[in-house]
Amino acid sequence: MQLSEPTTAAAADTRVARRLRTAAAVLFASLPAIARAADSGTASDAPANQLDFSGLLYGEASRVAVIEPIAKLTHRFANGQSLSGQLGIDGITGASPTGALPSGKVTTVTSASGNVTTSAADQIPTTKFNDIRASFDADYAVPVGTLFKSTLGGHFSREKDYQSTGANAQFALDVLQRLSTITVGGGFNHDTSFPTGGTHAPFTDGTTVLTTDPQGKDVTTWMVGLSRVVTRRLLVGANVSGTNEKGYLTEPYKVLSVVDTDGYPVSTLTEKRPDTRTRKSVLGSAVYHLADDVLYLSYRRYWDDWDIRSHTIDVRYRHELGADTWWEPHVRYYAQSEARFHTWGFAQGAALPQYATSDYRLGKLNTLTLGLMYGFHLLDYPGTFTIRGEYMSQFGETHPEGAVGVQKSYSLMPGLSIGSLTAGYSIGW
Amino acid sequence: MTREGALLVARFMAMASPCEVLLETRDDAAGERALLAAAQEATRIEHKYSRYRSDSVTNAVQQTSGTDVEVDEETSGLLDFAAQAHDVSGGRFDLTTGALRRCWTFDGRQVTPDVDAIRDALTHVGWSRVQWRRPRLTLPAGMELDFGGIGKEYAVDRVAAIMTAHVAAPCLVNFGGDLFASGPRGDGVPWSIGIEDPGAPTCILTQELALTRGGVATSGDARRFAMVEGRRLGHVLDPRTGWPVTGAPRSVTVVAATCLEAGTLATIALLHGSGAREFLQAQAATFTLLD
Repeated sequence: MQLSEPTTAAAADTRVARRLRTAAAVLFASLPAIARAADSGTASDAPANQLDFSGLLYGEASRVAVIEPIAKLTHRFANGQSLSGQLGIDGITGASPTGALPSGKVTTVTSASGNVTTSAADQIPTTKFNDIRASFDADYAVPVGTLFKSTLGGHFSREKDYQSTGANAQFALDVLQRLSTITVGGGFNHDTSFPTGGTHAPFTDGTTVLTTDPQGKDVTTWMVGLSRVVTRRLLVGANVSGTNEKGYLTEPYKVLSVVDTDGYPVSTLTEKRPDTRTRKSVLGSAVYHLADDVLYLSYRRYWDDWDIRSHTIDVRYRHELGADTWWEPHVRYYAQSEARFHTWGFAQGAALPQYATSDYRLGKLNTLTLGLMYGFHLLDYPGTFTIRGEYMSQFGETHPEGAVGVQKSYSLMPGLSIGSLTAGYSIGW
Repeated sequence: MTREGALLVARFMAMASPCEVLLETRDDAAGERALLAAAQEATRIEHKYSRYRSDSVTNAVQQTSGTDVEVDEETSGLLDFAAQAHDVSGGRFDLTTGALRRCWTFDGRQVTPDVDAIRDALTHVGWSRVQWRRPRLTLPAGMELDFGGIGKEYAVDRVAAIMTAHVAAPCLVNFGGDLFASGPRGDGVPWSIGIEDPGAPTCILTQELALTRGGVATSGDARRFAMVEGRRLGHVLDPRTGWPVTGAPRSVTVVAATCLEAGTLATIALLHGSGAREFLQAQAATFTLLD
């Protein structure tokens, strides 16, 4: 071994080595306790405050336009707890399908706001509306030790004829060398709707007012999830969740058409839905880190006791361009079967079922979403900017079985194109 | 993370080097927890001091261009250390040689140094031009701060401390040849460290070193040199002249109490050129040289 050992070189000037040793000792002694650094990712190097701001512009071709600014402020306390508050405003204007069939002639429809719309012969009747919704959400996260974290949340939103109040709690526990996390959560929401002009009796022409009292809906939710770090690059997760709704679940402004033997509408009837709904879903997801890029995959299977079944596949790929700039393409495909009581309308004289709706959202439906996000930093400005554009194409059952007469020649669920543009800005300090 | 006999091993890439942490324990749960924390800490330091990340401290300081900026405690500690090393090495050790590095290409080819460019670059080099009064730093416009010379060694020491805080088991941290051993292995024997000949095309261990506790760092890279008028000049740049040091050993390996001291001593030794051996002997250092 040729290693030169520190011979006691008599007149050696060991000044350099001695001063370096002292300087290193001073450096390591001056640093925050190791135990805190070991828990990095919690309190130590995360910014104490974070502000996220986004503005969404959303448009359905010739139907609805939405503008939605959202601001969220999060503060992390030195003890690791954090509090966040989010304020959102939605401004919605536009027209929404009433559920009625194309008239084959001119139709007039009374809207929630008392206006009158006129529809062309083959046009799906819509009703105009405009509304502003304000919402406030708050979350309080409390870590207990290093393995357990609880989060409590509250929600309130209000618009002209609808109000929602809710609370939720979530508990997460790290297990198996902190490589796995079990999450259990639950929530309760009480919603109240105040239909303009009162609540109409079901299956009537809409002139019989059942009550002018507000209508309530209680929603309870639960979820159980498990996530696992499989390798340094791969994170997988699965969760099961359920929702129970009870109360007034009918859409107060939706109607169904009654047609004569030639298919021409002779009247419209208000819809009727069950007053309970039980929904369940299973979600599987994976995040894979490549050298710089990240791939996100998820699949969701949903079913409820209104017999709606759906599949959702979601794929995102974050491609890093360096210097904290990235592209993120997004593809989502959604396919849904129709509710058991969804129907195109009624033939005149036919017996009425227990429940019925023509709301296209409860019908057979497919949507394809294509999106692209660009994230970047501006030199000399702190924070991260994002711009996201999404295009959604919705298509359903255009010629349902059982349609009568002239209705067979119309597309009862015309394809719908929706575009949205979101600008975001996040800054931590 | 894998188990290799008595050792639990984590391997990952950080700071452009292959990194390895060996832990001699039978407790898989505690061991994996410690190794995970170790890898996180390495990544944290890399991100914080990388020249290539826009959110790093290095870049934040760079963008102040001439105005003073307050830096955090950890960065202050590193700057204090660097200031001491600059002072005690007579200006040889310097974190601000960035402008100079662009004047030279050490890929073995014949070069004609651009004397004017070097003289120009030297006006943007030198720790003495930097105003450092903890915690405020002023880096003159055009100057660059580079923690590359001490960042990896510092990370090795920090990661070793994190391992020790997590588990009372012998451990060896090795980030691209810069090492720290926390104590003898379970059977009382030292860790065996091979020293690679940097000139050899494949991994040839020229020497073996027994390390019980402390840091080891190697400086020098014989593959990086330039030919100037038939003379072979190594890649070690003297910030005082702007030229490569002549006669420096191909590699210097130093053993010290911490990896940071070992690395700094090795770098300063290389900057002594042909006087490297004498310098290390005078410092009563434990070292090995490859000429």
